[in-house]
Amino acid sequence: MTVTPISLEVFKNLLVSVAEEMGVTLGRTSYSPNMKERRDYSCAVFDAAGVMVAQAAHIPVHLGAMTASVRAVLDNLELGPGDMAILNDPYLGGTHLPDVSLVLPVYTQDDGGPTLVGYVANRGHHADIGGMAPGSLPIATELIQEGVIIPPLRLYEGGRMNEPLMELICRNTRTPDERRGDFSAQIAAIRTGERRLLALVETYTLQTVHEHMAAILEYTERVTRAAIDDVPDGTYRFEDAMDDDGLSGEPVPMVCTTTVRDGHVTFDFSGTAMQTDGCVNTPLAVTESVALYTVRAVIGGDIPANDGVRRCITVNALLGCIVNAEAPHAVSGGNVETSQRIADVLLGCFAKALPKRMPAASQGTMNNLLVGGENPRGGSFTYYETTAGGMGGGPLRPGASGVHSHSTNTMNTPIEALEFEYPMRVRKLGIRRGSGGAGRHPGGDGVVRELEFLGRAQATVISERRKLAPYGLEGGSPGSLGANRLRRVDGTEEVLPGKATVNVEPAEVFIVETPGGGGWGAP
Amino acid sequence: MRAGSITDTWHCVTPLASKGKASGRASFAVTFLAVSPTQHSLAYLGIDTGGTFTDFVLVSDGALTIYKTRSTPAEPSRAATVGIEALGVPSDAAVVHGTTVATNALLERRGARTALVTTAGFEDVLQIGRQNRRHLYALEYEPIPPLVDVGLRLGVVERVGVGGEVVTPLTDEEVRRVAERVAELGVDAVAVSCLFSFLAPEHEQRLGQALERIDGLFVSLSSDVFPEFREYERSSTTVINSYVGPVMSRYLGQFEKAMRRPLRIMQSSGGSAPVHLAQRQPVRTVLSGPAGGVIGARYVAGVAGFDRIITLDMGGTSTDVALLPGSVQVSTGHTIGGLPVGIPTIDIETVGAGGGSIAWVDSGGALRVGPLSAGADPGPACYGVGTEPTVTDANLVLGRMSATDFLGGRQSIDADRARDAIGTIAAALDISGEEAAAGIVRVANAVMERAVRSVSLERGHDPREFTLVPFGGAGPQHACELAEGLGIARVLVPRYPGVLSALGVAIGDTVKDYSRTVMAKAPEDAPTVELALRGMEALGYADLEGEGYAADELQITRRVDARYKGQSFELDIPWPLASADAFAEVTTEFHRAHERRFGYHNPAAPVEIVTARVRAIAPSQPPPIERAALEPGPATPRGTSSAWLEGHSAEVDVYVRDELRPGQTFSGPAVVVQMDSTTVVPIGWSAEVDGYRNLLLTSIGVRP
Repeated sequence: MTVTPISLEVFKNLLVSVAEEMGVTLGRTSYSPNMKERRDYSCAVFDAAGVMVAQAAHIPVHLGAMTASVRAVLDNLELGPGDMAILNDPYLGGTHLPDVSLVLPVYTQDDGGPTLVGYVANRGHHADIGGMAPGSLPIATELIQEGVIIPPLRLYEGGRMNEPLMELICRNTRTPDERRGDFSAQIAAIRTGERRLLALVETYTLQTVHEHMAAILEYTERVTRAAIDDVPDGTYRFEDAMDDDGLSGEPVPMVCTTTVRDGHVTFDFSGTAMQTDGCVNTPLAVTESVALYTVRAVIGGDIPANDGVRRCITVNALLGCIVNAEAPHAVSGGNVETSQRIADVLLGCFAKALPKRMPAASQGTMNNLLVGGENPRGGSFTYYETTAGGMGGGPLRPGASGVHSHSTNTMNTPIEALEFEYPMRVRKLGIRRGSGGAGRHPGGDGVVRELEFLGRAQATVISERRKLAPYGLEGGSPGSLGANRLRRVDGTEEVLPGKATVNVEPAEVFIVETPGGGGWGAP
Repeated sequence: MRAGSITDTWHCVTPLASKGKASGRASFAVTFLAVSPTQHSLAYLGIDTGGTFTDFVLVSDGALTIYKTRSTPAEPSRAATVGIEALGVPSDAAVVHGTTVATNALLERRGARTALVTTAGFEDVLQIGRQNRRHLYALEYEPIPPLVDVGLRLGVVERVGVGGEVVTPLTDEEVRRVAERVAELGVDAVAVSCLFSFLAPEHEQRLGQALERIDGLFVSLSSDVFPEFREYERSSTTVINSYVGPVMSRYLGQFEKAMRRPLRIMQSSGGSAPVHLAQRQPVRTVLSGPAGGVIGARYVAGVAGFDRIITLDMGGTSTDVALLPGSVQVSTGHTIGGLPVGIPTIDIETVGAGGGSIAWVDSGGALRVGPLSAGADPGPACYGVGTEPTVTDANLVLGRMSATDFLGGRQSIDADRARDAIGTIAAALDISGEEAAAGIVRVANAVMERAVRSVSLERGHDPREFTLVPFGGAGPQHACELAEGLGIARVLVPRYPGVLSALGVAIGDTVKDYSRTVMAKAPEDAPTVELALRGMEALGYADLEGEGYAADELQITRRVDARYKGQSFELDIPWPLASADAFAEVTTEFHRAHERRFGYHNPAAPVEIVTARVRAIAPSQPPPIERAALEPGPATPRGTSSAWLEGHSAEVDVYVRDELRPGQTFSGPAVVVQMDSTTVVPIGWSAEVDGYRNLLLTSIGVRP
């Protein structure tokens, strides 16, 4: 069967359907609210060379990083039939430690022995993976403090699970039962992907499947190039900075020079700060993910999520700089916070390439909050939540209020679900009116959320845009800065830094005000 | 016609003269399935009002009669009255009405100006929602505007805690203040949704009492409408109820008056409710549109002997898919127009591909189908107005659809126009028109196949174990090929695929659902669950007995939503009657159910009961359909026509559905024409007419 415009479209659906079914299985069978309710996971299908051919649309920041996982597995292990790899090492195919990936080679068993069809992989954000603080996103100085580090290892060998390895991983987390439940779901999803990919081979032959995988990548590259061609060739530079790394209090500059030429985009991060002792370092995989996200968002349309897009993008970043960090630096904030700033900077470049076409900066942070402690109703708990903010205003309309932006799209925990589960009470959750930057199309408003603790606990906040505001564009004003405060029992309020760990007492209230988006156009 | 026999032909296909003006109105009545005379003398009438046609199915005197007339959108009861008179519906008939008045009011944002009263500090609950965006890559994301504007959101100082305890009391002054403010706003409707009101409804009730005193105000309390946890979903459901309340209340009042008889209304759950209950909780009808078809398909398939079915209702712009593993699946957590509706709804997935879906070639040279649709207006190119190539045009070009038989010849078909439209695709791809058309059908099937797979897997089922039941105009055209892609070996095409919805509306049970979040975490909480269930049962009896049903004909089911502690996804489990240790029994059954659905369970993990549910059912008792004796033998085609098959032009047999006799068989390639649908039987499929004159299609090839 040769590739035709019709069979191409049919196979696009078939391969995405494999990834989607993995996602359905993972969502359906996962255990923790983080995966099940917030859907913080991704699933993808790869060809025999480890190139991603289809991904189910879940979390943008996982987009490019999935390929890095498969690549790391290929570089470090020789997987045969019945083998499955596990990893979370940010410096070997991971992003940050809570994101644990599974990678399975899919083999057909023909007369001539096993033949590699491709790979299926998924990644889920685990609510705790050990380390110095509940939730495993601490303000750390070394990776080792952030949790258990899993380099690419065989979780299955010859069809049998390496139980001691699974036990070792789970025992190094605060909630081993929940981990086992979530790993079961990831494994079930991998098996679904394997079964479906093999069914495709059975129906269409291995050769046809491989031909169409290649054709889909070429197709995607073609439509991506055509779309990038609409961006004027040239070199565009933009600079922004992160508030600080959580330790030094100094801003962390980020610079990108973007070159668009002949349907190809090169992002060069020369001038960006070197990695620091704090937690905002970022493995290259995350940076590449954001680059992919940004290009897809800018060129619009419905371009398939696969590595055909990657062929049109080059990321140059000095090894050891903040967006291409080296072991053993801490990275917990890289995936969640630095990724947001990378998006701001890359979009800033495109705003110069496409004047009056790009929106102003969105809130530029996920406002991560992690709480852990003893539950007065018995046992201990860990809780992780990210909070929405304002999106930037744009040429078409004002920015949206109270939504997540760019590299994240996780849902919030319903207040009533949260209170049933944890010893906390939400006192307020509302739109923070007036926090969007002024403009012809104002930025969206952030939110304000007040969380009362009903027992003693330790709270960690990792947030950005507390010092340096989300930029406005075309004459629009910046969005309002975010703020973190702790209201003591006597009613006094203490301003907390953007990145902080505090011990809290019953009846104390953590208040987060999330940033507004930048305004667009002179008001 | 003799009761107990099967009619051979349309009883009456000539348009009936209807009183009134519109001479072009298309109406016809036909008796189609005879049913055996039974002790149930009660007649059932289903009136399904759609955008174009109003369909009627009357089950009476041992026969099923259908009737179709053009809808009268300005005053839907006019078409309904025409049908009732034409059919001579007995005055004691149980009349059930399927309507999308509430649905349309919501989707078109033509509902009441509505205020929201909620716990102070949470006024923006509808705007923030779950904080995610529907489109990941939209840099200028446009959220769905909440139904309640900023100025109409009122915070009330009060707070109930997670144990149902009052954390901040609601004072009488506060109640007065809020009521006065609502009165000042001059709204038509108000929704009250306070945190944890499902545990302690008193605050909402006091606010409700004060608000009820405001003249002409439609009031909904979340503790009445949807007393379940998750404040955004509960508030959204309650607000939708208020938003569509005044419109629906008025409409149903007028409709019932015009019918001059008591009426029941189809709900999203597939059961119907008396008018006055539907007026109070119209939110229960907003997803009822596709429910009738599923109930009708289940009925037809069940009678024919098929319990595990996947229904495929392919319309102009979209296709509704439901999976029935032995029974109609009702679940919560649905959305409409992007807004959550928590109330129990038949599990139906809508796929954005239908007969009107437009084909196009994208910048990378791939052939795409949808998501844009020509819909009903302008419709496919062959309808004579539009020019875009659609799936329907492709079917026509391929000879898979008869231009002369379509809608009994009442919709003229312009084959040349379809050919021209498809020609644009052929030119872009440099292939023949037939190849392009075949490609369009194949891509449309691929899109639908992806959705059906996802629907099946999501629910833990393998589609290969099911029979596909296609209906709607285009369903039977695509069913066999879709089945092949899914590994399904059997397709059942109902005798009249076009009126299944009205049939389902007619024969559905009367159902009232009740629920309440209880959050019971340990065996000692069992009495709390029991108490909640008993309270809801009493309500069920009261509501349905008030409708004239006797207590002994009511069926009450008690179920609970259970989950592993810490999970956020529940499974519903029967609550044992009169058990010494109900909690333990539920726990055991939950482990089993979890294993069945998810493939694993965790005996060590604690189980909690989240929500208690009671369903009160007054079963309808449609008379059984009698099976006709089979007269095995080959069917006789009307003739042949040329069609495009597997890469070349070929002659295929054309059969007339109305002439097929029970027991007759034939093989593909063939096309079966009838007034409201065309069935395509591809090469490799055999067809048999069963004793109910359904068409049973079986794949001859070996199936996985």
